[in-house]
Amino acid sequence: MMGKDIIQIKNLRKHFPVKNVWGTDIALVKALDGVDLNIESGTTFGIVGESGCGKTTLMRTLLRLVEPTSGSVHLSDQLIGQKGRTLENLTRLELSHFRRQIGVVFQDPMGALNPRMLIKDIVSEPLVIHGKKENMREKVIELLNNVGLGEEHLYRYPHEFSGGQRQRIVIARALALEPKVLVLDEPTSALDVSVQAQILNLLNDLQDKYDLTYIFISHDLSVIEYMCDRLAVMYLGKVVEEADTEVLFSNPRHPYTKALLSATPQFFAPDKKKMMILGDVPSPIIYLDGSKAKLATKMTEQERLEIKAIEGKGIDYIVRSSLNEVFPLKKVSNKHYARVK
Amino acid sequence: MLEIENLKTNFNTYDGVIKALDGVNLSVKDGEMFGLVGETGSGKSVTCYSALKLLPKTGEVVDGKVILNGEDITHTSEERLRQIRGGEIGIIFQDPLSALNPVMTVNEQIGEVLTLHQDKELHKIATEKEIPVYQSKKFSFSPGVEFTVLAICISFISLFSMLGQFSFGLPFFVIIALMLLRDYLQQDISDSALDIMVMESLSRVKLPNPRQIASSYPHELSGGMQQRVMIAMALAGKAKMLIADEPTTALDVTIQAQILQLIKDIQKEENMSVLLITHDLGVVAETCERVAVMYKGKIVEENTVANIFKNPQHAYTKALLNAIPKGGKERLKVPDVGEYGAI
Repeated sequence: MMGKDIIQIKNLRKHFPVKNVWGTDIALVKALDGVDLNIESGTTFGIVGESGCGKTTLMRTLLRLVEPTSGSVHLSDQLIGQKGRTLENLTRLELSHFRRQIGVVFQDPMGALNPRMLIKDIVSEPLVIHGKKENMREKVIELLNNVGLGEEHLYRYPHEFSGGQRQRIVIARALALEPKVLVLDEPTSALDVSVQAQILNLLNDLQDKYDLTYIFISHDLSVIEYMCDRLAVMYLGKVVEEADTEVLFSNPRHPYTKALLSATPQFFAPDKKKMMILGDVPSPIIYLDGSKAKLATKMTEQERLEIKAIEGKGIDYIVRSSLNEVFPLKKVSNKHYARVK
Repeated sequence: MLEIENLKTNFNTYDGVIKALDGVNLSVKDGEMFGLVGETGSGKSVTCYSALKLLPKTGEVVDGKVILNGEDITHTSEERLRQIRGGEIGIIFQDPLSALNPVMTVNEQIGEVLTLHQDKELHKIATEKEIPVYQSKKFSFSPGVEFTVLAICISFISLFSMLGQFSFGLPFFVIIALMLLRDYLQQDISDSALDIMVMESLSRVKLPNPRQIASSYPHELSGGMQQRVMIAMALAGKAKMLIADEPTTALDVTIQAQILQLIKDIQKEENMSVLLITHDLGVVAETCERVAVMYKGKIVEENTVANIFKNPQHAYTKALLNAIPKGGKERLKVPDVGEYGAI
């Protein structure tokens, strides 16, 4: 069922307050600052960005593990009930039903698995919690078979497995309740390239088999390009560019996207012209008193030093502080949006 | 510069002997960027730790030679090794935050390297400029102590003035006044030679406000800055060779590009040799001149970067290159890990 939006995120905001010693708010961290996304059913939607840009907060808000400050998440009828609902208005029972439809795979498989539980218990835990206790053993074996493990692994502990196998177990657990959407938060960043290839192939197979929708969070652009149909680039809590993968990779419009694409090391064309971002990732803290209300748009000392260092080497550069200026999201071409002048 | 011949390292575990290195041959030439790639457990890091005798107690070099600038350092004394580590070979580790000491300021950490490896230089600067070598004559406690003393004094003053016994608070006024007077008198005292050299090494890695960064603790800096401080530390001993063990794995791609550019620049400026250990073939392609691929404790292929990516010879190298997604949507070829055991 391609083509239909399964999740619609509208103007989602999540601001974390920063408090001083007396408990009064002095600043805000705008982890999500007006995010609009439409995720199509049966496709893979990628989210890229630096650490601290709000990727993980977006995922957590989507699962309602944190409450959003404002905005809404509209879930289609495929996910919930007859007409489709917004995430904020769900009752406890409906929320539990919704969470059955959405599985999560976290970055570090060892951290996501309880070291004192057997694989059998780990994979069957969602079934127990959601009260699907009949034929549990057969179901668990089927799940393990799906991800390339077998019956012989049932009575083992997580530490007995390699990194790739652990990630397979996490995927098996995420699939236990037959979800429609799978959120993958950097599923391969802790793995070697050969194991990564296995996991990516497995994910593609599972998507074909169960008609899953993936939300794929990563900072590895080669993986993103391989996996995703559509892609959003996030910077400091905002989506700065959104397009289909081929379009975005062939014709990036936002300077940050350009720099990100150029910064990814490639061994096919290492001599192509580089574009560097100079300066450090700015602090996302925004102070409430007027003096420091905005992020600095002036060039910092660090950036000046770096410009001096690369002068005359034929490297294009973008100064980080220039990215702090925010433009409204503009339609560049069909289904391609970017925050450019 | 650095030559490793037939190096064999074993780890003695409860499950028996593990051959981590099984005859590694490697040579890094003067002024060369050399890449060492391989997957987890292939023995990349163990190679560099074995060469510098930094192995844990269970590890043991059983055979082979390590030659640095024509000097055989395989069986050299611990004292000489201490000169080599930091003095002749600088090391950068993967995660800067765990490699830096969290309770020492940047100044103290770089200063430690300088006092160990650049003592002569320090004394030279000190005599030239007629300044103290290690510590400037400034007298002050750590910021925490200063703040606490100040807070106690102020609270006592306010307590006594509330009780109407204002004169009891006078001694505390005197303490505060003395502290202020001390700071006023000390403001003209110059830096020590050590301070000057720390600032120098920080500005070499393109860090702004070296004075401010020198007095800060590692957790106050961003990931990229921490890695810059690590590089500054590795270079502070005027090492002619740098071993970078996964220097950018913990960083974002945009910051990674900055750090790699910095390492490249410094390598060119000082004509250093760099041994870059990484699992990312892209990083090697963009920075190195020659590269060796490791697998199961052996080097399976060594070539120039241009050749190895265009025309890989060994089956494992081919498999590794095939496993990386590159553009198209065709199914990835998964290397069968057991397959390349026999070399």
